[in-house]
Amino acid sequence: MKKSYIVKRILYSVFIFFVVLTLNFFIPRIGVDDPAERYYPPQGNMTDAEYEIIKQLTREQYGFDVSTPEQYWNYLTDLFLEGNMGTSFRSGSPAVTSLIIDRLPWTLVLSVSTLLLGLVVGILIGVIAAMKRGRWQDTMLLNASTIMVALPAFFIALVFSFFLGFEAEIFPAYTNPDMVSDFSWSLDSLRMVAYNAALPVISMAFGSIIGYAQGTRNAVIAVTGEDFILTARSKGLKPNTIRYKHTLRNAMLPIVTSLGMSISGLIGGQVVIEQIFNWHGMGTLFLEANNTNDYPLMMGIMLLLSAFTIVAILFTDLVYVLLDPRVTVGERR
Amino acid sequence: MTEKKIPIHQRTFAFLKKRIYGIGRFFKRIWAHPKGKIGLSVVGLLVIVAVFAPWIAPYDPYDVADRTTKGLTPSLQHPLGTTINTGQDVFSMLIYGTRISLIVGVTAGVSIAFVGAILGVMAGYIGGFADNLIMRTVDVLLVIPSLPLVIVLTNVFGRDYWIIIFIFVALGWGGLSRNIRSLVLVIKNSNYVKAAELAGASRWRIMTKHILPGTSHLLIMSTALGSAGIMVAEAGLSFLGLGDPTRISWGRMLADAQGGGALLFGHWWWIIAPGIGIFLAVFSFMRIGIVMEEVLNPRMKQSTGIHKIFRSLSGKHIDEVFESMDEKTGLAATGRSASKA
Repeated sequence: MKKSYIVKRILYSVFIFFVVLTLNFFIPRIGVDDPAERYYPPQGNMTDAEYEIIKQLTREQYGFDVSTPEQYWNYLTDLFLEGNMGTSFRSGSPAVTSLIIDRLPWTLVLSVSTLLLGLVVGILIGVIAAMKRGRWQDTMLLNASTIMVALPAFFIALVFSFFLGFEAEIFPAYTNPDMVSDFSWSLDSLRMVAYNAALPVISMAFGSIIGYAQGTRNAVIAVTGEDFILTARSKGLKPNTIRYKHTLRNAMLPIVTSLGMSISGLIGGQVVIEQIFNWHGMGTLFLEANNTNDYPLMMGIMLLLSAFTIVAILFTDLVYVLLDPRVTVGERR
Repeated sequence: MTEKKIPIHQRTFAFLKKRIYGIGRFFKRIWAHPKGKIGLSVVGLLVIVAVFAPWIAPYDPYDVADRTTKGLTPSLQHPLGTTINTGQDVFSMLIYGTRISLIVGVTAGVSIAFVGAILGVMAGYIGGFADNLIMRTVDVLLVIPSLPLVIVLTNVFGRDYWIIIFIFVALGWGGLSRNIRSLVLVIKNSNYVKAAELAGASRWRIMTKHILPGTSHLLIMSTALGSAGIMVAEAGLSFLGLGDPTRISWGRMLADAQGGGALLFGHWWWIIAPGIGIFLAVFSFMRIGIVMEEVLNPRMKQSTGIHKIFRSLSGKHIDEVFESMDEKTGLAATGRSASKA
């Protein structure tokens, strides 16, 4: 039963990925059907025949010289056989894949550290709040959440970059471009990355800390009311054993499963944060592509981000099924 | 059937009177709720500011011709100073920014509730192919990162604010319709729906008259929370310079402040002011959403508002809705297995 569910779930994710892929192929074609006319307007001293030749060459270069179904087929084969997501409209026509690979690690540095910081601090605060339920620790979390949930991350980031970056000069308000160009795997380099990443990570982590803290608090309180905790207590186990071995372990499950969806939100929100701090990541690459109408690049980034989300959701779903014996496998949602 | 024909204008009048009276009573109950006062008064204040912006604002915020007043610090003439690069009055910009935030937030929030309710009820009640199609679309929508997709679509379709509203609606109905669907799956099995089916009521009638009212409390809360979420998204979009280029919004003010040297010259009020605007709007709409639900669904477990927001953000809120139905219908067990499974 479980095995067939897992196979089904994986196949379904592949199906969703194909739908996203197809959308990805067609959305740019609403906006730009002929890159030649869009990017090479006729020059003054050019005859019509010459312009036709140039247009033809451009179309060939970007693969627009064949019919749309053929383009779709080429897109699929290029993507799966060569990992090629098309050619950017930038000068020098670099491959989208290489542009993305250049930025990907920098974006992952931010997302992963935000996720880790949010998880660790959030769970810690949540557990404290649940254990001191109704006392000042709990109330403080409540009040902090009330305020933080209504403050967008980019506003927090702006305030930080102003007060901690420009005024107090504790952390850099803008990313130092040397961080990328002079990067090597040395301690100094890594320290520089951490120094520059501090503000973006902290401002993004605020939201996830509060979210995970609330999630943990509620999960811990819910688990505390379950029968097996009562059993454990009546067996005479030590409070700390019950707390860490019984309550926390079971309370972690919903947190793990909420990770999948939160990754999607994290990725989307990061675009704005990277822009504020001028971080050398995919978010700024995406906005650069948007400003120059570079559709192949935009859609390549979108595809990668969607793929991340699909994998994350699939992974958390499977972890949930494998970990929780109580889950009855059937129709989802 | 010798029913006396009542003239149409009297019927309309009676209908309107009943509705307005009902709405008035609803607001009174929100006001009576301990947490309702602050939310309702802030929303009321924002609406008044938005409607009467031209009378409240001391200057024309779109006026960039007056070059003598650049980069002023706060004073009695300019309560929040003026912008450094163009000399616009920041306080007036703040007041006009209320308009775009409320229009986009409320319109998109209400439309999302509308679309989400229709599709959710259809998916839940009709089932079969319609259910499959709608739910698979939701899965796709939830997988694509929303902000980048919104940016791509505004690039393709344009940046007028009504196009932005349309895009938000087209992408935003997924989560709500999924929740509505799992609620409908429960209501579908209740006795009154079965009775209506046996009595030969049409599908449309059952969906609109019997099932939809049962989801109203969830719907109304989601409208308010959704509006708040859209306001944040809109602010983010205009902050990136991708909102409506012809309108002043809070997000664009933040972008102007960042690009216009507020950081360099230390004009912190220029950054804080639009942030407080966003905060107040989002905060009050969330508050009102929670209070509305507690007023409409008294069986609902009274919990602290903020916990409710987080549970609804993480999709766990729907379980509580089922618990609230437990006492009356005894259908909660079915509902829970339908929602989690």
